[in-house]
Parts: sequence; structure tokens; C-alpha cells
Amino acid sequence: MEERRRIVIDPITRLEGHGKIDIILDALGRVERAYFQVPELRGFEKFAEGRPAEEMPQITSRICGVCPTAHHMAATKALDDLYKVTPPPAARKIRELVYSTFMVEDHALHFYFLGGPDFVVGPEAPKAERNVLGVIARVGVETGKRVIAMRRRLRELIALVGGKVVHPVFGLPGGVARGITADEQALFVQTADDAVEFARFTLDVFRNVVLANPSYIELIVSDMFTHRTHYMGLVDEQNRLNFYEGTVRVVGPDAVERASFRARDYLTYVAEHVEPWSYVKFAYFKPAGWKGFVDGPDSGVYCVAPLARLNVSDGLATPLAQAAYEEYFATLGGRPVHHTLANHWARVVELLYAAERMRELAGDPEIISPEIRTLPTETPTEGMGVVEAPRGTLIHHYATDERGVIRKANLIVATQNNSARIAMSVEKAAKGLLSGREISDGLLNMVEMAFRAYDPCHGCATHSLPGSMPLLVRVREYTGEIVATLRRDGDGSVHRGGTAA
Amino acid sequence: MGAAARILCLGNDLLADDALGRAAAERLARSAGPELEVVYAPGAGFALLDHLAGAPPQLVLIDAIHTGRAEPGTIHELSAGDLVAPAGPSPHYVGLLEMLQLARALDLSAPERVTILAVETADELTVGGAMHPLVAAAIPPVCARALAIAGIREVNARA
Repeated sequence: MEERRRIVIDPITRLEGHGKIDIILDALGRVERAYFQVPELRGFEKFAEGRPAEEMPQITSRICGVCPTAHHMAATKALDDLYKVTPPPAARKIRELVYSTFMVEDHALHFYFLGGPDFVVGPEAPKAERNVLGVIARVGVETGKRVIAMRRRLRELIALVGGKVVHPVFGLPGGVARGITADEQALFVQTADDAVEFARFTLDVFRNVVLANPSYIELIVSDMFTHRTHYMGLVDEQNRLNFYEGTVRVVGPDAVERASFRARDYLTYVAEHVEPWSYVKFAYFKPAGWKGFVDGPDSGVYCVAPLARLNVSDGLATPLAQAAYEEYFATLGGRPVHHTLANHWARVVELLYAAERMRELAGDPEIISPEIRTLPTETPTEGMGVVEAPRGTLIHHYATDERGVIRKANLIVATQNNSARIAMSVEKAAKGLLSGREISDGLLNMVEMAFRAYDPCHGCATHSLPGSMPLLVRVREYTGEIVATLRRDGDGSVHRGGTAA
Repeated sequence: MGAAARILCLGNDLLADDALGRAAAERLARSAGPELEVVYAPGAGFALLDHLAGAPPQLVLIDAIHTGRAEPGTIHELSAGDLVAPAGPSPHYVGLLEMLQLARALDLSAPERVTILAVETADELTVGGAMHPLVAAAIPPVCARALAIAGIREVNARA
């Protein structure tokens, strides 16, 4: 057997073991394979078994401390399907209104504070500045305050209807637990108006900071961050982006539709590939089959999230967002866009859409109708629900007995949909930048940028403390023997070690 | 005049040893009063900002941590200055220190003093898992220490 070595990039950041990147070298020191490893939550299926399905919107939203609203909504929609009930129009609109509010909040925070270090501060900036404080330094304290104030108002609205932001309690099979009063509607309208203005301002910030800088555009379209894969996302009946409901559309690397399906049929289109070296399940487009970690129309690799959503959408349903969508594709060479880092731009386009959609729904006279519930009468058997989480397509699937007690539960989360492409991105960055046993700081930055753009969510525990050792790279023989180490601390200092480390 | 101190307990009670935060908050609830706020927060990321902005001058944080370098149940005591806040590999992992920095940078009345009491875990990834006995045993001492830092006398459970 050919001699191989393995390098492990182990970012022990927020919590020990939150994720690591493994890079295996061949005997010549070339990257043979690179992949990311994450500690996944265990035992969800077992935990769900034997519980009433109605508890799932609460339980699943409690699993992830970052995006509870997405899980709550996917679970609620799976319950609609399980109990074969259609929510009344007002309930459907209230749900989408709350969901749009959540998307505005999440996308705004992501752009400014989380994606910001890569583009607002810049990939060339010193590591120590590539953080929240660095972003504030660039955009100014006033803008920072504006983002935080907007976030607070949006969360207050979600709490108003949903009970609690972190653990929302408003979705019920066939409707919602609580309607919206005329006074509350006025508050939604006012906030939505401001949200639209805020989103326009954000698009200007993006233009001024990113688009005005040719080196950023060069980086976005560089081969290093490009993969020609399939794309998946939820669209309405006119094939326009929708976060809350519709059909799941898959397009090929040529943007031609390959599939359009309801949540109920997801198992016909989505399968999971398992590799012996990883416990990550790699979702792929079943009709194309698993052909390995490769690009192209024959490969089943696909991705989700903002980049994918714009690629599957023939347009956007709101006017300002539609204009931003056109500008995006015109600038990046037409649809589809295959550049991973374009996710950041696509997210701003979606921010504008979410704000405009929020405004439309808030102003809808029907939103204050008291008809908010269709009571279930059918015997439950099986239900599937799908939404677009901020990070991509999210599917919940429950099978129950005739009393509605869970027999089997399955979740396909956004990061699983992206896992094959994330692995490809990591591998490409590693191949482009790694030579032999030398691990450069540039490699680490680029690898991190490649996967930051996807914002992978690993259903993490809610820990908030960083470890003392933010990044650890270990070069080792395939047998496990460590031959070199590199540790980069949070202050940017780098420490290299030999075999003894 | 508001409270002088806040004890912020973090954790997800569905995830084995990560339930520590909630258990600590329940135990501390009876010590809460005009001088002391006790808050349980299951959220992560930017949700932490809500518990830092406008907080009293002294903040004590109770959380679970997995360093892999200590016995489960070991209590690590740190000040915010002891920790660095690296930019994570994913935006998902934005943490307490970044939120504290943000709150200070934006002048959102962040606490002046932050002490972290982190209890070493054995398992924080199993949904519905039970708390390790050594982690559970650390709840009374970690609560007592939090109250001492906050300058509050412990209210006896049976009193």
C-alpha cells in the first residue's frame, strides 16, 4: 500500500472538539484527501422515540441554541403533514411573517459580525483584527449600534408572537397558538419598514466595502473557491425563492432543473453516502448517484444555503430584492454562480428579500384574522416538513403510531446537505496551499474561509467558552504517529513543535 | 438601583452534562433577590448578548466545558481576561468573549467584572443523556463559589 500521512487541523475554538479538518498526504507530500470532522450530537432518534409528536417543535428547537426558529418551523410543518391538516390562510401568513422576521435577524447578524471578518475586515488583515471588534472598527460604532438595535426589535417581535425566542412555542399542527392584534400588526409594519431600509443600507455597505474592491471580486471568483455542483432550495409555484414553503428544486451545474419535489418525497431524491474514514453523512442527489467528491453534471454532490437558493430561483418575488438578484448575477457572470464565497453576497440579497416579504405579510389585512387553527381529525401515520433554514434546506420526518407517538424520527439538516461540498472546498484549499509537511498560516486562513462561507451548524451544544488552544494542526503518518505540530493561539501567535508535541 | 450581581447559567438541559447550567440556576433561584439576579440561558451565539448588555457590574458565569485535561466535575475558575477570543472556523461558534467585546465596543452597559466558573464534562453531545455523577456533584460547590464571588450569602435549601 502506498505510504500516506495524515494532517489534522483541529480548531479547538468555542469548545474543545467542535470541529477538525483532516488532511491526508500521500508519500510525496501531496494532498490526497481532505475532510472535515465534527462531533455530531448523538441519540436524537432514540430520544425522540416514544414521545408525542406534538412535543417535537419544542424538543428540536431546544437542540440547537443558534437556530431554534428554523427547527421549530420545520417540525410544525411536519406535524401539519402528520395530522393531514392545512393551516388557515392567516395562520400560514403569521408563520411566514415570524419566519421572515427571523431570517432578517439571522442574515443581518451573519453579514456584519460573522461573515464580516472575511470581507468587511478582509482576508489579508491580521488575524487579531479578523473578529467582531475588527468589523466594528471598519463599519463604525454607529452602524454596529444600528445592527444591534435592529436585531433587538426583530427579536421582540418574534417573542411577541412566539412566546420565547430561544424556545418558540407558537407552531401547532394546523395553525398557530396565538393570533396577531391590530396594534401588533402596526408594530410589525413599522419594524418591517425599518427592516427594508436597513437591508438597503446593508446592500450599500456591501457595494462600498466589497464590490468597490477588485481584489475581493477576484478572490470570490478564484478557482480556489469554485465548484460546479448541483444546487437545492425551496421555491414557490413560479420557481421563486421561498423560505417557508413550496417545492424543493434541484438544478444542475448548468442551472437546468433536475428535480422538483415535495417534502414527502425527499427520500426519492436525497440519499446519504458514508465513508469509512468519517462519521459525517454526505447527502447527495440520488438520481445522479454518488460519484465521489467531484464536480460536474454527473456527480450527485449538491449544496444548499444562499448561493444555492439564488441558483435554483428563476427570480425573487419582491421588487428591490429582484433588482439585487439581477445585479448579483450580472456581476458574477450569470446564473448559476459556482463561487462559494458568493454566499456572503447572496445572503445580503436574501436579507433584502426577507425584509420585503416581512413588510408584505405585515401589511396583509388577513394577518389579524382570528382564524388561526384547523383542528386535526385524521389518524397520524407519517409526516415530513421542510423549510429553508438560514444555512439551507432543513427536513424533519416523523413516523408515529395511531396515537401520534413517535416511532421513528429523522432530520436532514443544512450542514448535512452541504457536507460533501464542504469537504471538496477544504480539499481544494489544502491542495492549492499545502506543500509537503509545511503548514502555512495562509493555508489555515483559506481553509477557514472556505468553510466559514457555509456557516456549518453541527447541532452544537450551547457552550460559549473558547478553549485556550484555538487551532491545532498535527502532521502525522497514516498510522497515527505525529511528526509535526502547529498551534495557533487566539492572539495570532504561532507555535511549532516536532515529534514530541 | 438594580442588582449588584448577576449569575448567568448556560447550558442545554437536553444534552447530558450540559444540563449543569439549568440545574445550577434552579439551585441558585432561592438565593436570588434585590441584590442578585439569576438567569438561565439555553441559547448560544448572539443570544448571549441579551444577557450581557445592561447587566449588573459583577457577572458570574456558570457553564460546562470540555477541555479533556481534567476529571469530570473539576471546576475551572477564570476571569474573562484569562481567555482569548479567537475567530472561529465557523460563524456559528461566536462565543461569550466576542459578545462581551461587542457589548463593550458598542457601549451597551456590559458588566465590569466577569468571572467564569466552568465545570469539566464527560459528555455534552448525547441528546437525552444523563449527567455524570461527578458533574452533578459539582453543582453545590460551583453554586457556593458563584455566590461567594457575587458577595451573597447562600440561602439554605431547608431554611
